[in-house]
Formats: sequence, C-alpha cells, structure tokens
Amino acid sequence: MKSRFLLALLVVTAVTRIAAAPATLTATVKDAKGAPVTDAVVSLIPLEAAAPPPAEAPGEVAQELQEFLPYVTVVQAGTKVAFPNRDSVQHHVYSLSKAKKFELPLYSPGQKESLVFESTGLVTLGCNIHDWMIAYLLVVPTPWYAKTDAQGLTSVTAPAGRYRVEVWHPRLSAALVQEITLRSAETLPRDFNLTLKPDRRIRRAGAAKSGGYR
Amino acid sequence: MAAPLFRFRRFSTRLLVIVLGLLAAALLSTYLLVTKANLDNAIAHIESRLAADVKVFRASIDFRKRFFAEGAKVVSRDWPIRTLYLQPQLDLKTLRTTIESYAARLNAPVFATFDVDGVMLATTNDRLTNEACGPFRHLIQKAGENDWEQNSDFGYLEGKLNVMIVVPLYAPEPNIIGWFGIAFPIDDQFARDLKETTQTEVTFTSGLTEESKRVLATTLPPDLAQQVAVQAPSELKADGQAMVTNLGTERYVTLYAPLELLGEDPARITLQRSLEAELAPARRLEQTMLFILLAALLAASLVALAVARGVSQPLQQLADHTKLVAAGDYTRRIELPREDEIGQLATAFNHMTAGLAERDRVRDLLGKVVSPEIATQLLQSDLKLGGEEREVTILFCDLRDFTTFSEKLPPTEVLALLNRYLDRMSAIIEQHGGVIDKYIGDAIMALFGAPVAAPDAPGRAIAAARDMARALDLLNRELSAEGKPALAFGIGINTARVVAGNMGSKTRLNYTVIGDGVNLASRLEGLTKDPAYGTPIIVSEATLDAMQERPAARELGEVKVKGKDQAVKIYALSAKGESRPPYAL
Repeated sequence: MKSRFLLALLVVTAVTRIAAAPATLTATVKDAKGAPVTDAVVSLIPLEAAAPPPAEAPGEVAQELQEFLPYVTVVQAGTKVAFPNRDSVQHHVYSLSKAKKFELPLYSPGQKESLVFESTGLVTLGCNIHDWMIAYLLVVPTPWYAKTDAQGLTSVTAPAGRYRVEVWHPRLSAALVQEITLRSAETLPRDFNLTLKPDRRIRRAGAAKSGGYR
Repeated sequence: MAAPLFRFRRFSTRLLVIVLGLLAAALLSTYLLVTKANLDNAIAHIESRLAADVKVFRASIDFRKRFFAEGAKVVSRDWPIRTLYLQPQLDLKTLRTTIESYAARLNAPVFATFDVDGVMLATTNDRLTNEACGPFRHLIQKAGENDWEQNSDFGYLEGKLNVMIVVPLYAPEPNIIGWFGIAFPIDDQFARDLKETTQTEVTFTSGLTEESKRVLATTLPPDLAQQVAVQAPSELKADGQAMVTNLGTERYVTLYAPLELLGEDPARITLQRSLEAELAPARRLEQTMLFILLAALLAASLVALAVARGVSQPLQQLADHTKLVAAGDYTRRIELPREDEIGQLATAFNHMTAGLAERDRVRDLLGKVVSPEIATQLLQSDLKLGGEEREVTILFCDLRDFTTFSEKLPPTEVLALLNRYLDRMSAIIEQHGGVIDKYIGDAIMALFGAPVAAPDAPGRAIAAARDMARALDLLNRELSAEGKPALAFGIGINTARVVAGNMGSKTRLNYTVIGDGVNLASRLEGLTKDPAYGTPIIVSEATLDAMQERPAARELGEVKVKGKDQAVKIYALSAKGESRPPYAL
C-alpha cells in the first residue's frame, strides 16, 4: 500500500512539474473567404497571474523608402520603441491615437527617435508630410504575442494557464476575443476566422483611388 | 335630289364664293396646321432643353459637391488641425476658429466638425445646434458603415434646403478621428445663378400634399412661385414630369424633377421656360403668313371678280342680244374682240343671227314664190323628191280672151292689171285655206287639202270660187270707172286622189300635184268657154259628193274626159249660189 501511495505522489509531482513547462498555441488566421491573413496579431493575456514585466529589448518602427517598416508592430506596455529614419528624406512621425498622442517633428535620415509606450491600445502612426505612410503599433499588456506570416500561421508559447486570446488586425473593426486554457507542454491548434474590411491604404504618387465613393 | 343650299343669281357671286371658299379653306387649314406644328415643336423643343437644364443643374450641384469635398479633404490633412487633436483635451474654441479659416479658404457657407460618432464639435454657423445636425449625422453614419471617402445629399438645415457634404478626418488615412461637414444652401441666389447659366426660371419646392407645398427658393416673384408650388403634381417621378402651365398671363412649359433627399419632406426642382418667348419667332412667321394669306385672298377675289365679269358681262350682252333676236331684230351684231370661247360664242352668235336673218328672208321670199303653207311644209320637212297620194280639190281659174285683151293695152299696164287681178284672187284663195300651186300666165292653179289636209276642202274651194266671182264683179266695176275693159274668167273644180309632193330636179323643186284629177279640173275650166254651158264655174260630181252638205248646182250633163272610159257628171255653180247665171256683162 505504501509503495502505491508513493507512486501516486510521484505522479502528482510529475504533473506539477510538467504544468510548469510552457505550452504552445498554434494559430491559423483566415478571412471570411478562407484566405490566409497576414499581419494579424495574436496576444495571450493571462487571466490568473500577472504578466511579467517587459524584456529590455526595444521595439522598432523604421522609415524606409517613404514607408513605415514594419506595417504592424506589437510591443508589451512599457516597452521603448525606436523610430529610426533609414530613408533619404525627412519624416514627421505622429499619432493622434488615445493610447499615445505624440509627434516627432521632422528629423533627418540617420537620426533615431525613441519613445516608451506605457498605455495599452492601438497607436496609429502617420507621417505628417507623407499622407500614404501608415503603420500600426499595438501595445499589449502581455509579453506573449505573435504576428501571422504570409500563410496566416503563427504560434505563441506561454506558461500553462487560462488566457484571453485577442486577435487583432488593421482591417478588423474590433479585436476577436476568446478564452483558452493552455496545458503544460501541450500544443493547442486554433483557427481564427476574421471578417475584414476592404484594404483602404492609399497608393503613392497620386495614384489615389478615384470614383467608387460618393 | 336635295335642293342646293344656295341659288346664285349671278355667275360672278357664284365664282367668287367658290374660289374664295376653296382658297380660304386651303389657306386656313395650312395656317392652322403650321400653327399647331409650331406649338408642338416649341413644346418639344422646350421639353428637351428643360431636360438638359436639369442635367446642367445636377452637374452644377455635383461640381460644387466635388469642389467642397476635395477642399475639405485637403484641409483635413492640414497639420494645424492635427496639432489641435494632439493636445490631451480638444480645445473647441480654437477648433471653431480653425474651421472658420477653413471655411474662408473654401468659401464654404457652412462648415462644421464632428467627432467619430457624429457629435458636432464646432461650426461656423452659431444657430446650428447639435440636434439640427441630424442630416449630417445621417450622412456620417452611412459613410462610416460603407467606408465611403465622402457622402453628400440634399437635406434641410434650419428648415432650408441645403446640399450637405461630409468627409472624414484621417490621421492618417484610413484611420478616422472625426468628420468635416460642409453645407451650401439652395436659395434664391443659387436659383438666380442657375438661371444665369440656363436662362430658365428656376423654383425649388417641397411637399406633396396641398398643406405642405411650399416654395424653398425661386427666381420668380413670390406669388408666381407659390403658384408653381401648388401646381406641382402630387407624386414624384424619377425622370420628372413636363407639362404646359399658366403662370400669370403667360404659358410656360414646366418640368418638375425630383431631388434626392434624406427621407425628409420631398423636394423638387421646377424649371420653366416661357412658351410665348419660344414661339415668338414662329408667331412672327405666322403673322407674316396670315398677312400673305389675306393678301392672297384679296388678290384671288379681285381676279375672280375680274374673271367673272369677263364672263358674265359678255354673257349678259349675249342674253340681251338673244332677246332682240327673239323679238325679230336680226340687224344687231355683238362686238367682242376676244379669242377665247366667249369670243367664239359671240362670233357663232353673230353667224347664227345672220343665218336667222337669211332664213327669214328666204322664208319671206318663199312665201311670195309659193304659198305660206307650202313654204312652211318645205321649211319643216326635209326637201326630197317624191310624194304621197292624197285627196285634193283642185281649182283652175283662167281669164277669158286675155290675149286679145292684152293687145289693147301697153305691156306694163297689162302686167299691172294682171298683178292686180292675181293679187285679189290669190288673197281670196288663201283666205279660204287654199294654196296657190302656180300661176300659169293669167291662169291660177290652186289646191285645197294639200299640202295640209283639210276635211272641208271641197267646200272651201267652192266658197273661194264664189267669192272670186264676186271679187271679179267688184274689180270690173273699178276697171269700168277707170275706163278700162272688163275681165271675165272661168273656174274648174275637181276633187280627186292625186300624187302630191316635191317634183323637179335635186337642185330645184316645186310642190305640186299631178294626176288625172288635175287634168280634169283643167278640162272643166276649159268647158266654161263653151257658151252651151253658160256658166263661169264648173264643178265635177266628185267635188259635190265629197261635200257634207251638197250646194245647189245645175247639172250640165256628162262629159267624156280624154283617157278615161267613164264619163264625168258636171255641174254649173252660180256665183251667188243660184242655178241661173247671175251675171251678164
């Protein structure tokens, strides 16, 4: 009997140790037509424990060839984000979003400005002198997030536990929210289907859309 | 056959009425057709122009909308407004002054800003409350739902018709942080501007029911504009309704076209063009045409009158002339120096008159040469050879010893005396219905019952013979008074069936009788020379038999006539009817 009890104890210990091991959410994001959605952000917001503070690594939204790069950036709240100008012309980066209103008045190629983003939420970035330039900086309260690739695939690895999954995309009216529970060392596949608005980014060099609107 | 409506007593009236009637009908129908075509053309022309004017109106609205939308788009990307929005708290007072400067830049009558939900933040029009901005909110909501770059429509602001445009405020596009709204009123000034371009009377009205119909803006005086609003049809048709309406004293072609509205009291644009103005050139043409028409009628009446007179006057002349001819005056001639039918008629008439005169003269002469009865029969019937058998009483009368008598007197006196004698005898014969067949020297051959049959021909012959005897008595008394010798004659009368008719050659004919009966009459006359009979008048039994009432006559016996086997009984007839000879000269 004793040995059986010990065995049971061992099993419980083993389970507890396994629970401490990270789990993985593999997400497949598709639009209403079943096409893969790239640049969708999947973030896991822990529901049971506080999220750990952000790592030291700063985010970056660069300006190259009169475009922001990358188009979508995700950082944890409290992260410092750099806005390096790697272009041949000046830029004037601004945001009028509630999460952070700021401007980086005209700065020259080679210069690099940095800001710390404390509030969570969407920060829509624009350039005051280049109307077509747009980028999204999503500030999330968690270190566990990822962006989908061209195949609409991504994976987030986080400790086991209950999470709120938020799937966001620039062409989504509101983020898609789900609750999931990740088990230790387990890989949880999930499909997300998004209803996206049409792509309304304007084309450069006066090739703006004309007609089709009232 | 129905009686004619009018009887024309004069040819000229008839011609005038017919010519003028036909001409007037033709010209009047032409005039009316042209007038109607002009009117139809004018209406169709105005309608097509009004349809084009509506397009001009819509294009002008679209142009202004695009202008304001593009302008708003430009100013929405203005940095100053972004710097305002960069501030933690939006400064509405400063925002108000900013959009004032934008309104001035675009020359926009009304400029307003709204937040993303359509709540009005600031406006250049202080009377415009957030509640009054419903139409703007409606446009913003619709544009947001459909992700439109702009939205616009007609709508009412403070009860006045406006065109409203909303454009989003991007930071950057397509990230919307608010909205700009611009409105320009459809007011009298707008209507006047449109009239300037289209030369059309423009009225904007609202309402489909009698109570709600009102004028929104117009180029017309208020009372006329109200009339337009009231005359507007009760239902809206997408492509508008064109009609001819009276406005004041003038006729207008009116086009009612609907305006797109935000589900509010429907409005429409009414475009009007004066029909009279459009018709003015046509009216001038019609007036000229009317003038030419009347001139043509006048000219036609004059020509018709002239023609009528040209016909009726010579006809009247001919009629008068005919009366003269009928009265027996053949001396007149009509002088009409014309080559046409009337001239030919006059010439023919003159020929006819001449012909009549000739015939009359011939008849006159014929009457002298032959007896009137024969002349009449000759003139009435075709002259032809041959004759008919009929019963005729033949009277032969010959003077006694006229040869010896004529030797005692000069020839002219002989002829005068002979003519005097023959004239009286002939008159008596004709008085009794006898016909002088011919004179054979001093002898007379007369017929009774030919050429015109008479039932009492024998009686007439005998009466004539007696009268001739008395007339001779009278003549002898005159002659003795004149110292001239007395005359004596013998008369033979016979009644027989003989052949009567025209005899002679084809060119020369005589009406006469031939046959044994004629010879007998001549023989009886010859017998009167015989003193044994002692009578100047010998009648055959045939004559007495043929009479209804046989007169007293003395039988003289029978004579054998040459060529006849049978003897003929003869009788002596006294001059006064007695059987004894009454006279002794």
